[in-house]
Amino acid sequence: MPSPVSKLLWIAACLLFSGNVSAQQPLRWGADPSGGAPYVYNDPNHPDQYIGYEKEMVDALAAAMGRKPEFAPSDWETLVSALQRKSFDVIVNGLEPTSDRQKQIQFSKPYYIFQLALTVRNGEQQIHSLADCKNRVVGTLGNTAASRLLQKENIPMRAYAEPLTAYRDLELKRIDAVIMDVPAEVFYVSKSTTLKRACEPFFRGTYNVGLRKGDDALKTEVDAAIDKIINDGSLEKILRKWGLWNDAQLELQKPAKAGEKNVDVGYDITSAAFNWREAIWRLTRAAFVTVLIAFGSMVIALVLGMPLAIGQWKGPRPVQWLCTIYVEFFRGTPVLVQLLFLYFGLPTIGLAMPAWLTALIGLGLNYAAYESQVYRAALEAIPRGQWEASYLLGMGPVLAFRRIILPQAFRIALPPMTNDFVSLFKDTSTAYAISVWELATAYRELANASGQFLLLGVAVSLYYLAMSLPMAHLARRLERKLQRREAIEAVEAEIN
Amino acid sequence: MIRATDLIKNANGARILRGVSFEVAPQTVLGIIGASGSGKTTLLRCLNGLERIDGGAIEFDSIRLEANLSAAEYSRRVKGLRKKVGTVFQHLYLFPHLTVLANIIEAPTHVLRVPKQQAESEAVALLDSVGLKEKARRYPETLSGGEQQRVAIARALAMHPALLMFDEPTSALDPKRSAGLRSLLRSTVSRGHTMVIVSHSIGFLEGLADQLLYMEGGEVVESGAAHQILNSPRDPRTKDFIEQAK
Ligand SMILES: Nc1ncnc2c1ncn2[C@@H]1O[C@H](COP(=O)(O)OP(=O)(O)OP(=O)(O)O)[C@@H](O)[C@H]1O
Ligand SMILES: [Mg+2]
Repeated sequence: MPSPVSKLLWIAACLLFSGNVSAQQPLRWGADPSGGAPYVYNDPNHPDQYIGYEKEMVDALAAAMGRKPEFAPSDWETLVSALQRKSFDVIVNGLEPTSDRQKQIQFSKPYYIFQLALTVRNGEQQIHSLADCKNRVVGTLGNTAASRLLQKENIPMRAYAEPLTAYRDLELKRIDAVIMDVPAEVFYVSKSTTLKRACEPFFRGTYNVGLRKGDDALKTEVDAAIDKIINDGSLEKILRKWGLWNDAQLELQKPAKAGEKNVDVGYDITSAAFNWREAIWRLTRAAFVTVLIAFGSMVIALVLGMPLAIGQWKGPRPVQWLCTIYVEFFRGTPVLVQLLFLYFGLPTIGLAMPAWLTALIGLGLNYAAYESQVYRAALEAIPRGQWEASYLLGMGPVLAFRRIILPQAFRIALPPMTNDFVSLFKDTSTAYAISVWELATAYRELANASGQFLLLGVAVSLYYLAMSLPMAHLARRLERKLQRREAIEAVEAEIN
Repeated sequence: MIRATDLIKNANGARILRGVSFEVAPQTVLGIIGASGSGKTTLLRCLNGLERIDGGAIEFDSIRLEANLSAAEYSRRVKGLRKKVGTVFQHLYLFPHLTVLANIIEAPTHVLRVPKQQAESEAVALLDSVGLKEKARRYPETLSGGEQQRVAIARALAMHPALLMFDEPTSALDPKRSAGLRSLLRSTVSRGHTMVIVSHSIGFLEGLADQLLYMEGGEVVESGAAHQILNSPRDPRTKDFIEQAK
């Protein structure tokens, strides 16, 4: 059995011979693989594996650093905060070194010079440049150089989470153009038969590796590795393989090949200066959309819920089945999936609605299933004797239902209905999936652009509360009003 | 006025009424007595059309219900029947979301289309006659059981039924209140109503019912003038029941 001293010696020896300890640590890198082609994405033929030109580049970088790459799939919108939380050590995801990001993290030297490509439908005659889009809606990814350029130019924008959905909406004429970094554009549009470039790619920016502030040793290591793969041609080989090589990349080679050190290539990076007034204004607009969707879908739910409830309760057999199928379908599948289906599925049968309307109808159809159950439970809670007493007084079923059963059921249904409405308010956030600019989307995008998660979070919460509290209050007042007369009478009865 | 002939009612494979026959003359009171489960409530539910009969016939003036009518025709005739028959259940089934007054005018205004003001003044007069004029604006749940029952009676009377039927009207009343109810019913009869009263309480029916009918196992064991049934029942089963009840 080795003595403690020899054990210590052995550990020291290990440290000595291993040289730099960090060289053995894996290179943990974060990127968003969902819709991430051609940067990094799931291999369609082997869904458990990731491919992409940046994936191959990281492999080359890691090899140059003597480390093993370790991929941490993450979410584009939260990449920066995930890096700061040390979920991984570097971001390699076509990240542009914008000045607001530079306040939060630091960047390596650039490894790729990108341009922006403006895509339109084949038949488009009017759009030949970004300037032609002033009164059109242009889609792009949220929180990218392209989205900031659109904001700066005051061009109406729809922010998407994935390039594919943006191009899909362009084909469906929901938007008029898409602006995207050339790598993504090459991947998605070059094979398209319905879309084309509106003009030659323009604008120049760089992709750099993102690192935590203070990780200077790692930055030196990464910079050296980037130099190495540029100089030995391995990066060029990867880019050529993916059809992304162009002469612009030579600019990165020149200083590196001339042996000049650490020349940061300064390009015109559009960075959104955070402006609270602007942010609050955009939040207010988002709150308005949220209210519109919530109220609109609640109206649909309340109206549609009643025939569903009655059909399931008293309808003939086939109607009962249909209503039950409806209810179970909408309650048994996630509302997110339903929205995606309505938004992307229905257009294939020629029914393309704008996103906000899709969210309004989708949530309405979904909540109708829930409301029908609230109604049905309330209706079934009314004793049979109430029906019979009405019939014996000569009322028909319709009159009895309207005058006797419904008012009693309404009181029973009111509290659960209010609850549903409050949760519907919160569920409007699922409209994010189809790029509706509602509160939750606004929060994610504004907070990611500014890093103001806390303050914006407070502001957004206040907005939600400002909307749902009056609702709850109103419902309570209504409930009380319904009971007030009875309560007064009860008190009088006590006195008498 | 109302005549039942060989009424048969089945439910879930069991025969609940096995050929019940009787007749009630206008402005008289028929009392129905019998042990629990003998079919009294079921008989009332057949008479007011809540249950469809499976055999025999019910005749009320010119309306005739029989088992072999089509469903549509049966319910058409039941509708006509209900214009003339009022029922006060054991569980009164007042409308809890309406005031006493609104309970009473609901059917007159919406079924008979009596103008609201007229319906209200009639309702107030009815409430006065049952001693509840002051409680017109109350909600039913704020009233005592006996008061609620009088509201239910006023609600039935507001439709001007020729025949009024009661199921166990005294089950929730103390002796003093059942005496009060009895005098109320008696004055109602004197105003020209006919009544069928199902009751456990022979004391309540004594002096109120003109005719009595004793049921057992879904059959009429004995029926006749009230004093005869009470004082000298012919069938030993009737005799047993009355002795036990006294
Ligand atoms: N819907 C039904 N299905 C099956 N059996 C029933 C139904 N309704 C009543 N019965 C049965 O019919 C019989 C008579 O019931 P009913 O309620 O008419 O008796 P009752 O004389 O009113 O009794 P009570 O004095 O307890 O009120 C009982 O045995 C009861 O269980
Ligand atoms: Mg009974």
